[in-house]
Amino acid sequence: MTMFDLALKNIKRNLKHYALYIGATVFSIIIYFTFATLKYSDNLSGLAETSRQIRGIMSGSAFVLMIFVAIFILYSNTFFMKKRKKEVGLYSLLGVRKKKIGYLLFFENMMIGIISLIIGIGLGFFLSQLFLAILLKLMGIQMELGFTFSSQAVIETSIVFFAIFLVTSLLGYRVIYKFKLIDLFQAANKGEEKPKSRLIIALAGLLSLILAYWMALQDLMTSDVWHHLGLATPLLIIGLTIIGSFLLFNSVLVYVLTKLKKREGWAWKGLNVMTVSQLLYRIRGNAKTLTIITILSATTITAGGAVFGMYYNTDKTVQSFAPFSFMWQGSQHEISDESVEVAIDFEVKNIRVSSEEMDREYNIINQSTFEQLAQALDWDNIESINNKQEEALLIDPFYDERWSEKTEEVLVDGNPYQISKMYTTSIVNIEVLSGSMLVLSDEQFEALDHKAIDYHVIQLDNYKKHADLSEQLASSLGTENFSSAIRDYQESLKSSGTLLFVGSFLGLVFLLATGSIIFFKMMTEAEEDKSKYGILYKIGVSKREMKQTIRYQMGFVFVAPLILGLMHGAVALIAFSNLLQMNLWKPILWWMLAYTLIYIIYYFITVRGFYQTTMQEEN
Amino acid sequence: MEYVLKVNNVEKTYGKGTNTFEALKNITFSIEPGEFVGVMGPSGAGKSTLLNVLATIDSPTSGDIFIEADNIAKMKEDKLADFRRDHLGFIFQDYNLLDSLTVRENILLPLAIAKMPAKEINEKVISIAKTFGIEDLLDKYPYQLSGGQKQRTASSRALVTKPKLLFADEPTGALDSKSATEFLENLRSLNIEQEATIMMVTHDAYAASFCRRILFIKDGQLSKEMVRGNRTRKEFFQLILDELANLGGDEHDNV
Repeated sequence: MTMFDLALKNIKRNLKHYALYIGATVFSIIIYFTFATLKYSDNLSGLAETSRQIRGIMSGSAFVLMIFVAIFILYSNTFFMKKRKKEVGLYSLLGVRKKKIGYLLFFENMMIGIISLIIGIGLGFFLSQLFLAILLKLMGIQMELGFTFSSQAVIETSIVFFAIFLVTSLLGYRVIYKFKLIDLFQAANKGEEKPKSRLIIALAGLLSLILAYWMALQDLMTSDVWHHLGLATPLLIIGLTIIGSFLLFNSVLVYVLTKLKKREGWAWKGLNVMTVSQLLYRIRGNAKTLTIITILSATTITAGGAVFGMYYNTDKTVQSFAPFSFMWQGSQHEISDESVEVAIDFEVKNIRVSSEEMDREYNIINQSTFEQLAQALDWDNIESINNKQEEALLIDPFYDERWSEKTEEVLVDGNPYQISKMYTTSIVNIEVLSGSMLVLSDEQFEALDHKAIDYHVIQLDNYKKHADLSEQLASSLGTENFSSAIRDYQESLKSSGTLLFVGSFLGLVFLLATGSIIFFKMMTEAEEDKSKYGILYKIGVSKREMKQTIRYQMGFVFVAPLILGLMHGAVALIAFSNLLQMNLWKPILWWMLAYTLIYIIYYFITVRGFYQTTMQEEN
Repeated sequence: MEYVLKVNNVEKTYGKGTNTFEALKNITFSIEPGEFVGVMGPSGAGKSTLLNVLATIDSPTSGDIFIEADNIAKMKEDKLADFRRDHLGFIFQDYNLLDSLTVRENILLPLAIAKMPAKEINEKVISIAKTFGIEDLLDKYPYQLSGGQKQRTASSRALVTKPKLLFADEPTGALDSKSATEFLENLRSLNIEQEATIMMVTHDAYAASFCRRILFIKDGQLSKEMVRGNRTRKEFFQLILDELANLGGDEHDNV
């Protein structure tokens, strides 16, 4: 029998063992292929001409995905090889040469790779259609989709994964040389030192986290940190976060568990002593895994939250610079549509005020126009001018307290006006009429000797529904001095929709990966712990109690990184929303909730898997 | 007659259809309180199967097993776990200690599961540890112990609940002869001084010679019973060797 036959037979016989590994590789291939298909899709490249950033986003994301997929496959491959150590040991014991076993593992791995590649590309083809449809929907584009099969995507996927499999196969080949027969006979984890909690490590961990958080919350424009460190800052923040998380897991968890173990009243009740000891026993190895899970969770939460927040805020962003559905300058244009709620025509006078530093332009409207507009926008703090000779209102949508100077007084044609109140939200569509706006009393406005320009605004009941009306108006008015909320909305959806898609796609991948890594890790432990639960069974521990201790142990492993990950994510997102001056709390909380829910589902699946693995022997 | 364990017509069959194997056939015997009974027989005779069935780890295909008034052959899974915890103790060849727990924690585990107050637990653990001479080792981990110390820890765990019946499965199998002798002396004194009822499965004639009565099992059936009576241990040992030679199997075992 040739080595090839043996490898093939091996896979066929042990299909069940291989299923998890093959599943993981097929999953990775599907994900990558889907993404590659989208990248090369004709529908998308058509769009890419109009919004170029999509291409950039897709290529960058594909690279991230590639690195990630490689790590993921390596991880599951290690898990898979660990499971098969006994088999390899047996071959060795029977006198098969290491070289031959190495060949066997190499062939086997390559075969699995090629089979997975075929399955993955096949399934990925159908999935990519689904994803493409979702993407276009999110971007707000209605388009008929033909079945596209991208040969470029196939080639790219094949090359990437062939390389990955080659590396894992070579690693598999290497495993056999590192393998010692004695490992087979010695029980794992013999005589592991009891971990000690050191205060200094806990403090170091806490300190690096605080430092990372502090740096993350610094203002990009004004802080010294950014000034001195520049682009190294984010790297430093990430590095400190990782180190801090690891040190905290290593010390604080040990401390808590040791303390719990010492409280005899609690510990010596049921299997509590077992739960705590098991966690303590594994804390070294677990600290690493917990850190990886924390970082993955934080990344998923941050990326997803940011992207989802921006998508969620598209509406608000549009509203902030185009508060009216339509606005244009020039002649009146009658719109006989029942969806029109408010139509206001008004005059604006433009003045230029010179001061020592710079000239400023002001658009002036009168008090009654201001009231009309503000009422149409449901403003609730409409101020009126008391002293008509000397007071004015100022609307400055670009005011930013961090660097703008507050205007107290404005000179209009030589007459000083006190600013009695300032508004920082735009009252008209900025696209048509930008800059600061001054409100004078009707009489003072009338008295101004400047040319009045006519403007018209229209508010519809729901601007998003009237794309056709917008196009009609645009064609009859000319696009130059015309602003339409729906048009702006569509534009921003195009970019934020892509971001959302890419973000949620990567988020989904990270999410699944996080789950799989915990799952693999726990199944490895379950395999090791089998005999322990066998002993408990013989001592007379009921299955219910064993299930409980498993639930607690898993719960600990799941909850600790989730809490830390949520914290990291929250800080990152606060920094993000500060940077963009957006209020993202609501979408971020929703996103975190969604993440936590999925995470909880993983928990239950893992507990089930663990329980089934450890209980196998008894049933 | 008073008994701790009473076995009635117990059978155990593995497999299904035509491909079956009868591991235990029509086994009937009983053990009185305070007895130290050995079960011997060649490999594959059904010793371990019998122990597993009696210890409620496996269930018999038919027949009744009474431990005092409870018929464990008819008990449900959850009740069995409680029963094992409250009334039975186990010692195994490979000790079966939990390596993530200290000696103290290993011993107290059955008490903790029974929800005993911590103070009471502490007293019991220390008292049993003294009996086995391991009170200085309570805070050590199993990997720091020798084989004999491990087996004494396991025995402490098995006996800390004061079980009605102690099952020992080849307890000296992995011990050197000195540790084995010490351990067997321990068991015998427990049996005499505290009237612990012990059933020990072994294929080692030397270990068996510490028992007061020996049941021989062959091909799944009880083949012979031997009582030590007033013989010395050495005489009894010789007798057992002779019997083993008759049965065929482990006759090469020596002191």
